[in-house]
Amino acid sequence: MNWLRALAATGPVPVYAAVGPGMTDEVRRLALDPVVELVATPRHASVLLVAGAVPPSADAALRRVHAQLPWPCATLWYRSRPFPELDYPQVIEAPEMLAGALQELHRAVLRGPRGREPVLLPDVPPAPFEGRGDYGQGGEGMMGGTPYGRPMAMTTDDLRDGLALDKLELSLGPFFRGLPSGLVLGLSLQGDVVQRCSVEAPPYPEPPAPPFLQALERPMPIAALELARARHHLGRLAEALDLAGLGAPGRRLLRSAGGLAPGRRLRWLGPLVLGSGLLGCVGTGHGRLTRDQAVGAGGPAARAAGQAMDARTEDPGYRQLGFEPVVQRGGDTRARWRQWLDEIDQSLRLAARAVDTDAHTASSGAVEGPCGRLTRDGNPPDLCPVLESILPGCEWGEALAVIASLPLAGTMMPFPAVTA
Amino acid sequence: MSDVLLPTLAVLGTLLAGAALVAVLDQAAAGVIAGGPFRGRLSAPLARAALLWLRPDATTEHPDALLWRLAPAAYLALAALGLAVVPWSAEFVPVRLPTGVVLWGAVEALATVVIFLQGWAPNAPLPLLGAYRHAAAGLSYILVSMFVLIAAALPAESLAFDAVVASQEDLWNVVRQPLGLPLFLVVGLGIGVWGPLRFADAADLAGGTTAETSGPRRLAWALARGAMLVAFSAVAASAFLGGWLGPWLPGPVWLLLKMLLLLALLVLLGRLLARIAPGRFVGLAWLVLLPLSFADLLWAGVLALYGGTP
Repeated sequence: MNWLRALAATGPVPVYAAVGPGMTDEVRRLALDPVVELVATPRHASVLLVAGAVPPSADAALRRVHAQLPWPCATLWYRSRPFPELDYPQVIEAPEMLAGALQELHRAVLRGPRGREPVLLPDVPPAPFEGRGDYGQGGEGMMGGTPYGRPMAMTTDDLRDGLALDKLELSLGPFFRGLPSGLVLGLSLQGDVVQRCSVEAPPYPEPPAPPFLQALERPMPIAALELARARHHLGRLAEALDLAGLGAPGRRLLRSAGGLAPGRRLRWLGPLVLGSGLLGCVGTGHGRLTRDQAVGAGGPAARAAGQAMDARTEDPGYRQLGFEPVVQRGGDTRARWRQWLDEIDQSLRLAARAVDTDAHTASSGAVEGPCGRLTRDGNPPDLCPVLESILPGCEWGEALAVIASLPLAGTMMPFPAVTA
Repeated sequence: MSDVLLPTLAVLGTLLAGAALVAVLDQAAAGVIAGGPFRGRLSAPLARAALLWLRPDATTEHPDALLWRLAPAAYLALAALGLAVVPWSAEFVPVRLPTGVVLWGAVEALATVVIFLQGWAPNAPLPLLGAYRHAAAGLSYILVSMFVLIAAALPAESLAFDAVVASQEDLWNVVRQPLGLPLFLVVGLGIGVWGPLRFADAADLAGGTTAETSGPRRLAWALARGAMLVAFSAVAASAFLGGWLGPWLPGPVWLLLKMLLLLALLVLLGRLLARIAPGRFVGLAWLVLLPLSFADLLWAGVLALYGGTP
């Protein structure tokens, strides 16, 4: 290895993560490891991390991601099944080995002797040239149509002002970093304004943290539940900050989430998040849920819309601690972010009080999870269909912020969802 | 020979060293804000540069290969043009241009075109969206820039940067025209694709204009962007902070110190302020920033007529 390669090997490993079901938290924790840099596009990566059992329906998408990494590159299969075409796939199961394995693969890529991973997709267009229309691409004049299966821009009226601009059709997901893993959106954009949105595949299920599941079975220390709730909300806020270009403050939130303890307060959190202008990333009213949608969603999304729905009010343990739900008024994305901030503070206060009094939940079969009411019978409703009505009119960055603020199925338990 | 060589070396050396410094400052700021282990953070930009140099250039289906190669080169060339008209002392100005302020205005406008081309060239949706977003916001901050720069030139009664610096001998423009520098910093965030105005290569577009770019081409773009921030800091220091003027130290040292201060400020703004929604920025620019820049120009005009300056 010459000096340039040796120098390159001292930096963090650029990793693109294709995240499978139940792996969001583990991959999120990886962002705190100084030897790893999670990048936003396969083009920027030297190692592809496939985390979790990617379902067969996403096999073609995973192959497309694999094909986009510039060669030389390598793939690490973490608790997942490698493609059968690969001769010597790198597979690991132990989470403590993950960062080290990524670093070793990166160094191997830099050394260069690794055999080339085979190209898993044929280098041909996904569809034939249409051969229709003025120029054969199937549209009108030189615009529109889907030559070789790729949609070309076509002028249509804009939703907001009727100005006819180029409409761009595209599909994003299931491994696009700005969306919950598994979610596939079909989109029509004018500039970066969403004109139409359809959910082509829902997000992968993500079970709540273990304390919430255990609380469905037996009394649990309230401090443990509230710290887990604060950790969840910090993780979601970190995602929102990351989308807004604030990766470093986001990592600070994740680091704090890992070190939460009863009695600890995060007094800097509100000034950091609100002072960053995060609320300015999305217009007032964007992502607003109707009353019925908010009630259907439950949890912080409902409370952010003024609905004081909270299973904790039914629990004697919480009542002894003087618990009262905090609520907002707006019901939009900004209100949900404020709700998370307020609930983090509330949870840390509750945890401190619960430790002092050794407060436990009463096992009632219903627990207020981080995204809403959890029972043994099933999940809160799937909010994905709501996206089709609330995203049109949003700019792209706003649309992603709206999605990141909602309790989509990707943040729920792996039970069958019911449609809202 | 030295008439050509020294200015060329000064401009290119400052741009390259400054771009590296921006990367190091940015990593340091990220490390302090994020917390956690600091070891290796300051050398990380160098390691990243080496890695990008070694990684291959990715390509897409039917890209505009010529524009894709030209865009970073043009961005860097624009930064060099901007820095070239900035005076380092009363004697040393790499290119002494009587219309330096106008040239900088052209650099800002052409930078918007170049950033658009960087997004256009890969022939892919996410870079194109980044390009659209930047072009939509570009006009808004360029107009602001024109007014605050004319205001800065008014006391000098000249569009040459050496005269603009000389006119601040008694009082820097940052004090004389307090709205000027804050408004001009917004312009720096725009042409540097930085912080709250990082529309083109934003995280929500998986890197936007650079989403399909890898290897040396991505390194060149990062270098050019850092260089543009350096050129901007030199222009801002000259227009509002008295440029090379200052006691005890040589003029070039004062200029470099003021540039460092502005670069550190830009880096901090970039790490602490969220990206504003492009549509909201356009509204803010036209409804608030542009009227403020009118007020800045009006104030400068009133001072020039009745304030006894220059």
